[in-house]
Amino acid sequence: MRVSVVLRYVGSVMICVSAFMVVSAVISYINNVDSGFYPLLLSALLTFTLGVFPMLFVPRATSISNKEGFSIVVGSWVLASVVGMFPYLIWGGEFTLINAWFESVSGFTATGSTILNNIEQLPQGLLFYRTSSNWIGGVGVVMFALVILPSLGTSRLSLSNVELSSLAKDNYRYRTQVIVRILLVVYVGLTVATTLALKAAGMRWFDALNHAMSACATAGFSTKNTSVAFYDNVAVELILVAAMLISSIHFGLIYATFLRKSNNIFKSEVVRTYLAIIGVSTLFIAVSLYGADIFPTIWESLRHSLFQVVSLITTTGFATADTNLWTPFAIVLLIFVSIVCACAGSTSGGMKVDRLLIFCKILWARIRRQQHPNAVIRIRVDGVAQDADVLNNVVIFIVTYIALILVATFTNALFGQDLMTAFSSAVACISNVGPGFGQVGSMGNFADIPAVLKLQDSILMLIGRLEIFGFIQLLFLKWWK
Amino acid sequence: MKGIGRRVTIGFLSIVALLFASGVISLFELSNLSNDTETILAASRRNLELAKDMLKFAHEHSQATLHIALFDDHTQHDICRRSMSDLEGKLAAARSEAVDASRLDSLSMTVSHLREVSESYLFTPNRVQADTLVVAGDGVQGVAALSGKRWYDEQYKVVYDEMVDDIQNFMTHTHSSLAPRAEQLNKNAYRSVAPVLISLVVMIAIVLMFYYFIRIYCVNPIVKMNRALSDYLSYRLPFNVKADLRDEFKQLADNIDKLIGITKQNR
Repeated sequence: MRVSVVLRYVGSVMICVSAFMVVSAVISYINNVDSGFYPLLLSALLTFTLGVFPMLFVPRATSISNKEGFSIVVGSWVLASVVGMFPYLIWGGEFTLINAWFESVSGFTATGSTILNNIEQLPQGLLFYRTSSNWIGGVGVVMFALVILPSLGTSRLSLSNVELSSLAKDNYRYRTQVIVRILLVVYVGLTVATTLALKAAGMRWFDALNHAMSACATAGFSTKNTSVAFYDNVAVELILVAAMLISSIHFGLIYATFLRKSNNIFKSEVVRTYLAIIGVSTLFIAVSLYGADIFPTIWESLRHSLFQVVSLITTTGFATADTNLWTPFAIVLLIFVSIVCACAGSTSGGMKVDRLLIFCKILWARIRRQQHPNAVIRIRVDGVAQDADVLNNVVIFIVTYIALILVATFTNALFGQDLMTAFSSAVACISNVGPGFGQVGSMGNFADIPAVLKLQDSILMLIGRLEIFGFIQLLFLKWWK
Repeated sequence: MKGIGRRVTIGFLSIVALLFASGVISLFELSNLSNDTETILAASRRNLELAKDMLKFAHEHSQATLHIALFDDHTQHDICRRSMSDLEGKLAAARSEAVDASRLDSLSMTVSHLREVSESYLFTPNRVQADTLVVAGDGVQGVAALSGKRWYDEQYKVVYDEMVDDIQNFMTHTHSSLAPRAEQLNKNAYRSVAPVLISLVVMIAIVLMFYYFIRIYCVNPIVKMNRALSDYLSYRLPFNVKADLRDEFKQLADNIDKLIGITKQNR
């Protein structure tokens, strides 16, 4: 593998990050040169210099291997998180070294967990930079799932590949161009539409843009301490629910639906399963909340239940209520949706409904095989038979995912966290959801978590974002040879 | 300037620019730090001066009042009036300079109370220097008028002590009100150091990259060309340099190849 080529392309991502820092610095400048201006400006300069250096020396590669492409994405994520710390570190305040790292990783992995006790004290430029790290992370996630993973041979996330196959039937090079166009159209279009809708619903331009960027990246950074609960506005909540839902569905399918192709959202088995999980969970939680007198009317219960279910299953993490005060049944169901999460090929993280669907089909096939030992049973998703390799990968992924949650829960408990905080923070970080329950609930934050656990949680976010094995294989020297 | 020369120059200039920028921002934050420190120290000094002056004038007033009350010393009247007006002047100055003037309300009240108490006694014509004993019809003895000493101890001194307490509170409050500014000072100090430290870390990363790229894109091609040329000269092996080159090194390799070709033709 050519490390210099990897560095060149990681450098271009650094330049992109520095461009967002410059935009944030401009916002600081417009806002009477607030205290975020110099930290953002210097960080932009540092990041730009770091990024431009490899581009000066390394010539543009005529071709990039799959391995190099994969390393570029992973390297970009890790290094973006490192340079992303600079504005926070230089600004100071609540940002110690470990806090800045945590906030930066949380931003670029589109997790949305925060260590800030008082978000509103941040200058506007820094608030915008924080949200833009979410937005860049969101683009990265989709790029990773739609462009890089399908090109990695046996280690690909074949579900994405299957769904994309009908979108582009030509060679891989052409397909990549199509995918990038899909990304731009869907992602930017959705962000612009959400911003306009939120402004129309009564938000300030600045808040509308920040919340739209955060919702489309399914990340969850808000400009308010109490997140979306601050607005207490049904229209705002419905717009955000729609934005989060669309962003959590395979971008290729959204594009295909707009183009009225046969392979669209309405015909996708995965999307149907996903929507069914949301519908059933919302209804059950609403009834539970209404029954426990947490909200006075069933509509109020439905409103908050829908928002929280969509916010957690899409791995966004916005909040309209303190879910710590909800019934144990509602909490368990919310933890379940935090583990399952949304569709592959979207900006959301976690285990993905696609894998859950295949896993259920494997279980059902196993039961049928018991009854009919000689039967040939093929597992199909959307009518496409899945390879044994794909099925094995799904099972291995789910087992590893659960094992990592348990290990992280154990470590959290070891450092004195109560069981609810220990378990839910592990789930929230590896699934890139953001808030959990207990101390890290929807109205809480990670400020009082011990530094060593913040480090562990940030690594969990990266592991979750890079689909577990993507991160693990980087730790082997053989990969780099 | 083209090719490798341009890259090295831009690389060098970027390091210099980075150092310069971090230095300028650090300097800016340091000047902020210096200004804030100066402001805090000046505010603290000014408040201490005001409190000291207030205490001095209060003491002068007290001394003069005591003289008048005990010895009916009319020469002290002027001192008494002047010290009171000076005290009020200092109080007005403190109010105008204070961030939160409401903190001085209590002191203002006690000063005006002191003025009322002293004026109501000192400028009454019938006051007495000693307690006058009178015998009532039933033979009970009593005090007809309050003596100067008793007035001073029982009325003036009480208000005076209250006022001194308020002045002391003003001094203490001055220090506590400076605490948030001292915290800001701490932030400024951090912000003047952090850019330099982070720039240094980035600089180390850039220098390492510089070393790596110079090695790959400058040193290695020279070594390869040298080896290929040596092989040609020693064993007449064909001069063939395989490298991903697009700059002067590529031109150099091509030119050596051409030179070898011309030499062969001339032979």
